[in-house]
Amino acid sequence: MTMADSLFSQVSVLGSSLVLIFGIILLWRRGVRAYITALAWQSWVLAGVTATVGWFGGDPQLYWVAGLLLVIKGLGIPRLLRAMEARFGAARELEPYVNTATSLVIAGLLVVFAYAITRPLVAVAQLPTRAGMPLAMGLVFVSLFVIVSRKKALTQVIGFLMLENGIALLAVLGAYGVPLIVEIGVFLDVLMGFLVMQIFVYQIHATFDSIDVEQLNRLRH
Amino acid sequence: MLFLALLAPPLLSALLALLVTPYRRAVGWVNALLSLVTLGAAVGLWAAILAGEPATGGSDEFLRADALSTLFALCVSFVTALAAWLGPGLARDEEWGPVQARRFSVFVNLFAFTMLFAVTTNNVGFMWIAIEATTITSAVLIPLTVTKPSVEASWKYILIGSVGIALAFAGTVLGYFDFVNLAGRHEDALTWTVLMAAARSLHPEVLQIAFVFILIGYGTKAGIAPMHTWLPDAHSEAPAPLSAMLSGVLTAVGLYAVIRWRAVVSAAVGPAFPNRLLIVLGLLSLAIAAFSLVIQRNYKRMLAYSTIEHTGLMCVGLALGPLGAFAAMLHLLNHSVAKSMMFFLAGRVADRYRTTELARVSGLLRTMPGTAVLFAAGMLAMIGLPPFGLFISEFALFRAGFAAGRPWLMGAVLVLLTVAFVALVGHLHRMLYGSRIPGMEPGERQRLGLVPLGLSLAILVVLGLTLPEPVATLLDRTVEVIGRGPTSPASARRWPTASASRSAASRSSAATSCTA
Repeated sequence: MTMADSLFSQVSVLGSSLVLIFGIILLWRRGVRAYITALAWQSWVLAGVTATVGWFGGDPQLYWVAGLLLVIKGLGIPRLLRAMEARFGAARELEPYVNTATSLVIAGLLVVFAYAITRPLVAVAQLPTRAGMPLAMGLVFVSLFVIVSRKKALTQVIGFLMLENGIALLAVLGAYGVPLIVEIGVFLDVLMGFLVMQIFVYQIHATFDSIDVEQLNRLRH
Repeated sequence: MLFLALLAPPLLSALLALLVTPYRRAVGWVNALLSLVTLGAAVGLWAAILAGEPATGGSDEFLRADALSTLFALCVSFVTALAAWLGPGLARDEEWGPVQARRFSVFVNLFAFTMLFAVTTNNVGFMWIAIEATTITSAVLIPLTVTKPSVEASWKYILIGSVGIALAFAGTVLGYFDFVNLAGRHEDALTWTVLMAAARSLHPEVLQIAFVFILIGYGTKAGIAPMHTWLPDAHSEAPAPLSAMLSGVLTAVGLYAVIRWRAVVSAAVGPAFPNRLLIVLGLLSLAIAAFSLVIQRNYKRMLAYSTIEHTGLMCVGLALGPLGAFAAMLHLLNHSVAKSMMFFLAGRVADRYRTTELARVSGLLRTMPGTAVLFAAGMLAMIGLPPFGLFISEFALFRAGFAAGRPWLMGAVLVLLTVAFVALVGHLHRMLYGSRIPGMEPGERQRLGLVPLGLSLAILVVLGLTLPEPVATLLDRTVEVIGRGPTSPASARRWPTASASRSAASRSSAATSCTA
């Protein structure tokens, strides 16, 4: 392994760890505003990792992906989220289904689980970025846990966006990203999906007078 | 050309509805006529299959309709046409205002486009994008009238649906990762034909993980338990024409993605692994649906759970070899026709009775005789009684199961189907008979709306009595595709490394990563 390769490998692991840590912030902070900041920072770091991989991997297409990430998920979506948060008035996760301490322990276990199931992937991978793949999978699982254990609709949306970030990181580390044309379609879907979710959150607020999904319990059996 | 006729009409309809404000009924007429063009194009694809030459379109076979795609395109375009003729676009009643009719026309056509595109694109990535877009375009229409239950249902639908489909993307990325790992970055790596040609040299352990993600992800859209929790809510709260499309064909499109990937995974891992997963989840779906049917108090939710039941049956059938796959695909065709008809009828009932609660619907036979007769026939069809098509496909499924040497599995399926049978007959009896609701005048509104639904019933009866030659041929070819995946001579030429040994492939990929 050359010097550049080992540097590249270390940078990608460091970046992936940061991306995962911003995901875990959702479990120990309470205020939705902090979650939005975490999402924005996570997207910036992810864009940085993507651009780095583009540089070392010699794939200029990844600069476009990094740019899209920065503009859509790093700036645009956080801005819209802040506007929503301001409108609903300082939303906080006061009583999540799982308390903070337990949540953090579960997050740790999920990352260990991610390492266990990605072992075959890391074993067959040849790219220097492979060591970050378990961290990306860890973010996927942690985001899933955020979605099921938190009560505010806004938190669930942020969890979903982080889940997407985890998968984007997995694609970048594992295969230097999917083809650009597919990537653009994925971004379009994420953006459209987010806008529709935004409409629904406003609708929930208008019909239920709160964005607590706990009240969404009329339909059962 | 065929693909243009298939995919352009829904886009044109959506554009027209978007541009014409306020909404006029003329838009609804254009929409309804264009939906027939799409249906005609799907029949054209069918004719191409019968002629032995699957249609392809775009540069590099970007669009490709083999028998499997054609079967699904037929189902989708048929139900879409029904929705165009019977939906809010043409409806005269006071239920839908012009604003709602316009919104419905725009999004239902985009929804139809995304489904048709998903089943005809040859690109795995674009299929994912299209299926994700089905969630977005259909979720918008669930709260067409904003009520607490419809807002709740739409939220659950878009959240669970998007998360599920995101996991399917993770599975897609893992499959792509393994391909790139073996053969280097390749522009065509995400097309079905190339992926299939290379499948034998992919790593089984990676593809196993990928398939778990894919089955969970697309299974969420298909309504396979335990990822089905959103389905009864969304399918029951949506307006009737949308429910018909969601239950009749969107679940099928989810299953389509699973079937395509299963062919790739079977080639890499062997069929035992995906089949075992399909049987376990299929049985679980059957069990959850059967017992939920027993305690059901809402007839639209009853139909939604019955969809989960039938999807479970198809999963089991797909795992039972070629005979089972044949039965499953025939069942899918029957189910699309039957379930869409049932949701339209349920919509008529809900319009009159102003409720979807089973306890508050009685005397249907005397109040709405035409609707009641079709509804009863449809229920008996869904239960699996002759002379309807679902009887034949369920019978074929059992024969396939016994032929495959799985008597215990088939016994379990039979018990669960019996539970569902008893539950559905009980609910049907209570709806049809009993006293008329006081103050409700007997008689049908919009009798003409029953005509297309009568056509659906006629299709079910024909499929129950005979298996017409063109249908049988289409299904035979579909089973071939399910078994060995899509192949095309063009991609085999472009992709000479398909049969290359793994060591050669990994050497070439090592070379690629060295250049990095």
